[in-house]
Amino acid sequence: MKEEETQGQNETGQTRDDVTRRDSFVKLGLGSVAVACCGAAVFGYEFLSPNVLYEASPIANLGKPDRFPPDSVTSDPVAEVYIVHAAEGLYALSAICTHLGCITAWKPDLGIIACPCHGSKFNRLGTRIDGPAPRPLPRLKVWVSDEGDLLVDRSTISTPDQFVRT
Amino acid sequence: MAKALEGYWNDLRDTKVWRSVFRSGSGSSTLHRSLAVQQNVFLHLASVKMRRRSLAFSVTWYLGTLTFATFLILTVSGILLMLYYHPSVPQAYADMKDLQFVVSAGVFLRNLHRWSAHAMVFLVFAHMFKVFYRGAYRPPREFNWVIGVILLLVTLFLSYTGYLLPWDQLAFWAITVGSNIMSAVPIMGAKLRFLMLGGNTVNANALLRFYVLHCVILPLTAVLFIGIHFWRIRKDGGLYSSKSDAGQGETTEAAING
Amino acid sequence: MDELKPFRATVGSDSRKEPLRVAFVTRRTSPHIKADDDLYVMTWPEGIFRVLVACESLALVLVTLSLFWDAPLEGLADPIQTPNPAKAPWYFLGLQELLHYFPPMVAGVLIPTLVVMALIVIPYFNVNIQAEGLWVRDRSKRLRIFAAVLLALVVLLLAFQVYAVLVPTVLIGAVMLFAARLSSHPGRFHRWLFLRPLSFWIMTWFLVAASLLTAIGTFFRGPGWSWVWPWSE
Repeated sequence: MKEEETQGQNETGQTRDDVTRRDSFVKLGLGSVAVACCGAAVFGYEFLSPNVLYEASPIANLGKPDRFPPDSVTSDPVAEVYIVHAAEGLYALSAICTHLGCITAWKPDLGIIACPCHGSKFNRLGTRIDGPAPRPLPRLKVWVSDEGDLLVDRSTISTPDQFVRT
Repeated sequence: MAKALEGYWNDLRDTKVWRSVFRSGSGSSTLHRSLAVQQNVFLHLASVKMRRRSLAFSVTWYLGTLTFATFLILTVSGILLMLYYHPSVPQAYADMKDLQFVVSAGVFLRNLHRWSAHAMVFLVFAHMFKVFYRGAYRPPREFNWVIGVILLLVTLFLSYTGYLLPWDQLAFWAITVGSNIMSAVPIMGAKLRFLMLGGNTVNANALLRFYVLHCVILPLTAVLFIGIHFWRIRKDGGLYSSKSDAGQGETTEAAING
Repeated sequence: MDELKPFRATVGSDSRKEPLRVAFVTRRTSPHIKADDDLYVMTWPEGIFRVLVACESLALVLVTLSLFWDAPLEGLADPIQTPNPAKAPWYFLGLQELLHYFPPMVAGVLIPTLVVMALIVIPYFNVNIQAEGLWVRDRSKRLRIFAAVLLALVVLLLAFQVYAVLVPTVLIGAVMLFAARLSSHPGRFHRWLFLRPLSFWIMTWFLVAASLLTAIGTFFRGPGWSWVWPWSE
């Protein structure tokens, strides 16, 4: 601690500005406790966030692209996606309703995607037609793997201008 | 700087919000210090004043305190470990590997739990011998000694049930040996073993039973008896210390002659 | 009023001799008790701070241990393959060593039950509340009883070949004899030993025997529970 020049001294020979040994130890002690708490918080957070998940990978293999005929909407219930073959190419829509997370269904005779829970309806572009859903169905990133399979990453949203050209 | 901090700290303790929670306000007078213990839901099991004699290290070696401290460390580390442990066969073993290699700070927590467990068993024995050798079991403290023996058995049983949970060779066979000793009890030995294991061999049922015993039943029992143990210390007149214990300025002659 | 059991009332102030007392307030005395002259300190902060320091030291030791030494983890449990030797946790190894000498009923059930019962009963024996030294009175008579008991124990232990308990018995017996020895200028330790009561000797015998059994079970037993020297591996 830096030394102060003595001003008016009290009975114990200390000035009001003197830093006592007690003060230094208190500071050191509290500082260590603070550091320890921060460390414990960081380690606690790291411990509580698992590094390994017992869940399916977000990347799903949808098979060869020529499985999907032109101008079709194919539903993959396991991957929970719709593969739409539009004029520009293939794209994938998430089948999970944006309202409260129910799995929607493709109605081929009506040409819409309908959610059984609260009546939300979407068209094949994912735009909301009816119901309480706040947002359109998101488009998911698709690409063709080296083996020629169509892959979709259900954790990544893509923009409406991205297609897999066929 | 420290004085300014202390100033802020004391001001905080005088605010309305603080006082609505803690009620006793700041201050280092005897009154405030009494209130700090007496008004505190966790601390008011202790008395407001203690005999200075009983605080000297040589009297108790703080073994009872340390045993309780290990119990707290075990509870916290145990609860955290429970977040990554599935008590099923053979998932339990896979989880141990996970804790060792995949979970952040997993190996540290597991080690801490293991070494604290060994420490607690050792400390509880040491505490028992120390209490005996300084005569702190004598009337009016007889019943507290019996509570202590019960706590010793609960500690051993906690350690025994926890030993199985890693589901490795060490765990499996240690518990098999122990349960076979149990079946040597006359008349009800086999039945007791069957009940303890939930079957005739150490298998998935045994693991689940030991898990529930280790994480729920025995800790609750321990907390109950620890509470009674501390309560009895108060009711029996505080920690025992004989006149020959250090701290009162007596000569060592008096200390030898007891 | 129900009939009172006949009792003998004594007037005394020695709490070690008479732990349960009734205060008789006779005519010309006042019910004031003698003031407690113990020094009291505030639990907060003196008591609590000392407790925190003790706990913090323990935490330091345990955390350091945990950072540098890993707890063991062997292979997956295999009911078909028994490791040799199959050892219990260390606090039961004393018991497992005892199992080597006695049948399971004795070593596994009888002895632990007797030990636990003995522990529970200790404070209820109203014998020698003052903790008077064993050799202070009736020295020669007690020495004779002691010799008989020691001999009986040694014979019993030799018969079952329980050397692990025989050694502490002989050792403690020797120390007790040393304590009983009369000398004109006893050293401080000798005098302290002389004043130890019988309960001290029994507990110490138990402590040494249990520690030795546990140590043997931990370090000196190998495959088939055969004797091994730990440094010869």
